[in-house]
This record gives sequence, C-alpha cells and structure tokens, in this order.
Amino acid sequence: MADDKDVLRDVWFGRIPTCFTLNQDEVTEREAEPYYLLLPRVSYLPLVTDKVKKHFLKVMKAEDVEEMWLEYEGTPLKWHYPIGVLFDLHASNTVLPWSITVNECWTQIRLHINDNNFPDRDLLHCTSNSVIEAHFMSSIKEADALKHKSQVVNDMQKKDHKQLWMGLQNDKFDQFWAINRKLMEYPTEEGGFRYIPFRIYQTMSDRPFIQKLFRPVSPEGNVHTLGDLLKEMYPAALPNDGEQKRYQVVIHGIEPLLETPLQWLSEHLSHPDNFLHICVIPTPTD
Amino acid sequence: MKPIFSCSDRGGGPGSEYLDLFMMLPAEMSWMLDEQSFCHCCQLLLQWSQQLKDGWSWEGVQGSEDGYLRKTVLRSVVIDSSPVWDLEGSGSQSDTHTSCHSRPDQQGQETEQALCVAPEDGDSVRGDIDDDDDDDDDDDDGVCTVSGGSGQVLQYEYHILFSCSYGTPVLYFRAVTLEGRSLSLEEVWSSVHQNFRLRLQQSPLNTITLQEHPLLGQPFFMLHPCRTEEFMRPVLQAAQNQHRPVNYVLSWLSVVGPLVGLEVPLKYSTLLHPAASLGSTEPD
Repeated sequence: MADDKDVLRDVWFGRIPTCFTLNQDEVTEREAEPYYLLLPRVSYLPLVTDKVKKHFLKVMKAEDVEEMWLEYEGTPLKWHYPIGVLFDLHASNTVLPWSITVNECWTQIRLHINDNNFPDRDLLHCTSNSVIEAHFMSSIKEADALKHKSQVVNDMQKKDHKQLWMGLQNDKFDQFWAINRKLMEYPTEEGGFRYIPFRIYQTMSDRPFIQKLFRPVSPEGNVHTLGDLLKEMYPAALPNDGEQKRYQVVIHGIEPLLETPLQWLSEHLSHPDNFLHICVIPTPTD
Repeated sequence: MKPIFSCSDRGGGPGSEYLDLFMMLPAEMSWMLDEQSFCHCCQLLLQWSQQLKDGWSWEGVQGSEDGYLRKTVLRSVVIDSSPVWDLEGSGSQSDTHTSCHSRPDQQGQETEQALCVAPEDGDSVRGDIDDDDDDDDDDDDGVCTVSGGSGQVLQYEYHILFSCSYGTPVLYFRAVTLEGRSLSLEEVWSSVHQNFRLRLQQSPLNTITLQEHPLLGQPFFMLHPCRTEEFMRPVLQAAQNQHRPVNYVLSWLSVVGPLVGLEVPLKYSTLLHPAASLGSTEPD
C-alpha cells in the first residue's frame, strides 16, 4: 500500500530538536556556547554528534579529552540505544528542545590518577564508529535469528551487510531499504515472522528492558496485536477497565492503537536495527 | 514440532536418567535450548556446584521468573602500572604494555589462573619485558614476566544468562579492583589465554565485547552466542548417539569458560556420570 511506504519514510526521517550544553563542572579556557542540532530518531548518539564534540573541543585543550559522554538531567544516556528511544523514555512530554549535557573525560596523564569521571558502571565505551557498526549489525543479526532463524541475514553477502550500515550512517533511506526489505519478507503461508523482535523499556525498575519470544500469529491463526503483546509481557502497562490510563505505550514518539497487528508494527515501525522498541512511560499528570 | 532439548535428570531410575523432553532430531534441525530447560540445567548445575563447593549461585530478578547463575572469583593479579597498551603499536618500548601475572588464590580453593601472553610469542603488542626479580612463583606455565608493578586483587564476576533469540546460554563477565574500578577490555584480554585470544580476535562475532547486561543494565563483557549452536551440535549429537546424559549448560560452560579464565572442575563429570566414576569400562 502506498500509505505504508510513507510510514517507512516518516519513521526514517523523524527528528528531535536538541540543545547540547557543556557541563558546568568542565574546565574550559573560555565560555562555551550551547550547540543546537536536529537528531535523527533512528540513529545513535555517537554517530551524529561529531559536530557537538568539535564545537566544545574548541574551548578545551583538545589533546586532553579522551571520550565524550552525554547525560539528561543526571541520567547518563546509553549511546547504544536509538536516539528516539532515549528521548521517548526520558524526555517525552517535556518542552523542546531536548536539553542534553555534555561531559568530557580527561586523559590519565593530565589527571595523574587512575580513574576519570566516565560512568563505567552505567555506560558502555564507544571509541570509534566501528564499535557502533558492530553493535548495529549484532542487533540486525539477532533480529533475524528471531524472524527467520538467521537464514536471510546469513544468505546475504558482506556487501549487503555493509550497505545496511552505510545507509544508516549516511542517512540514505533508499540505500538502506534496498537490502532491509529482504529482512521484512516472510513465507506467505506463515502469516508473519517466526518471532517478533521487540524490546519493552520502562524506567520504573532496574531491569533495562523486557525481551522474550512472542509469535505474531497464534497457533489457531489469530493475529496478535500490540495489546496482546503487552498483556503477555507487561500487563501493568494496560489500563484496567474503567480506570484512568496510567501509562503511555510509545513507539517513535506516538501511541499506536493497542489493536494494531504486531506483524504490521514490526514491518513498519521497527528501527533500522530491525527491533520494535517500545517505551512504557507514566502518563503525564497536568 | 519445535525441537526442545533438555538436560539430564539424575533423579529416578536408570531409564529416566536423561530423557524427559529429549526428542530425536533430524540432522539438519538445530539444537536449541528453551528457557525452561535452561533453568532446569542451571538448577542441576547449582546442586552439583554446592556439592563441589564451586561457588555458583542463582540470582533471581525481582518481579519475574527470570534469573541467572552467578559466580565470583578473586584473583591476585600483577598489573603493570604503565599506561594502557597500544594494541596497534609496534611495541618497541618496554613501558608501553600492560602485563599481568596471576597466582592461585591464597586460600587454594580456586585453581583458576589468568594466563598471560609469553614474551617470546612475537606478539607485537608486547614490548621488551624485563625479567622481574620479584616473580617468585615458578609454578605457573605461560607466566609473563613483569617489569615492576603492584599486585592487585581483582574480583571477576561471571553470569550465565539465557538468550531467547539464539536459544543458548550466554556468558557475561566483568572484573573490578577492590576499590571498585572496572577493568577495561584491554586489561581483561590479558586474562584470555594466548591461544584463544588469536582465534577470538579474528572472528568479531565470537569475540568478547562490552555489552549491556540484559537484566541488570550495567556494562559487562560478553562472549557472543551466535556460534554456540555450531560447537554444541557435535557434543549433543555424540551424547545422543552414545545414550549418555548431558547437561547443556555444563557442557557449554566447559567450552567457553576457559576462554575467559573460568575453569570448570572435572569433578562435575563424576556427578553427571556416577557410573563412570566407579571405574566402569564403558567409554565416558
């Protein structure tokens, strides 16, 4: 359907207006101006924040800085989560632009001590784009293990894998989807993927996400919906009859109807990593 | 029908020894573990570990049935105090390497050793290493000598989780100093035996990477699970052919554990095959 292809484009080109400010505790040679940027929802922070890094390095001694990490209102931001997920999870329903604080890590030489202020109990290190690529490809392979027992991704050539990554890195929708469409196919008689790759995030407990096996179609042939998924995996997210809605179920910044078929969501609202990332957040009380 | 593989069950009579849910599988189907079988294997392993005092415990996740096996190991390690090594450098300077040497835990309970790259292997990472006069432990094989540096006690923590995506167990681990400083990937690599290190580095998806722990949300090193089914297949097939009981998690652990310095005592096999330990002539 023509409409469905539009959804793919809307998802790909979603943006979040963001304001980056240097942490006040950082020692600088002169005042640092905030930096404004439109962040792609479907990408990853270290892939799109080179300009931010360069901007703040101008006011610091560049040779001392080892790694930049970002936080929002005291919460370190996990670079390996898609940007849109981080926003929906931590800052949806807040006033735009999204205000992110920039922290720099200093080398050991300058500090003469063994540790720096990188929060290594919370964040993974990201020292180059190849780390992001490895993580991205690993997600794609895991998603295909769930959807097709890895058959589609394993049948692809290395250059196809590379094309997926380059498409994301260079923001090239057509280049990406030329290959990704193969990952979205399934045998007609099956009615859908083997299992749906999904992760449900919430901030109310330590557990980072819920990920389990879930089929898009029941053995009896019933099409499973978003509501069916939540009922099985996270029933607390669903409102009780007659009760006020306590939680919002957000995907790419919107609340899809709970009756939406899960297979359709997986094909159209997945991130480029082929996972459906679902955020459950408390309904704002205002 | 979805193939389910279960581990052995020591309870019951001779017939029940290992066939609760085991099914005969055509060769081309994959040997996937399901979550229930994983938990069952873990509980058995836990019982045996308690008998052997091997230190494994089961940690549950609040509010769910999920959990993981956990074990911590203290190791005495000497880490050179020079700057972190340059993995791509020429290694020509003697002060640009991190070396480590480990002695058995003082209590003598743990036999795990962190094995180091010996200086003679031509590894370009290592520079010239001076003999360390303080190195008085001559028993270690493959000990690399250290040019000074302070001894540190490190705590290694190993977790065994279940990957529903791959139908296999996954090994997560981390190492911290007693002050709570997390070891970097470079420092942890030094505790991987040199023979394994080369193989692991060549294949990115078999290698050790820093990942978010799926249940705790904290950074852990992980051995990627996507090849597990490949190396487990012959093990499971052989066990099936020989009608031997096998615990998937234990067999898997005995393969991957040593890659990252975690030994699995041979005594487990006597608990798994009690008949064999009586000197039976049957092949084990």
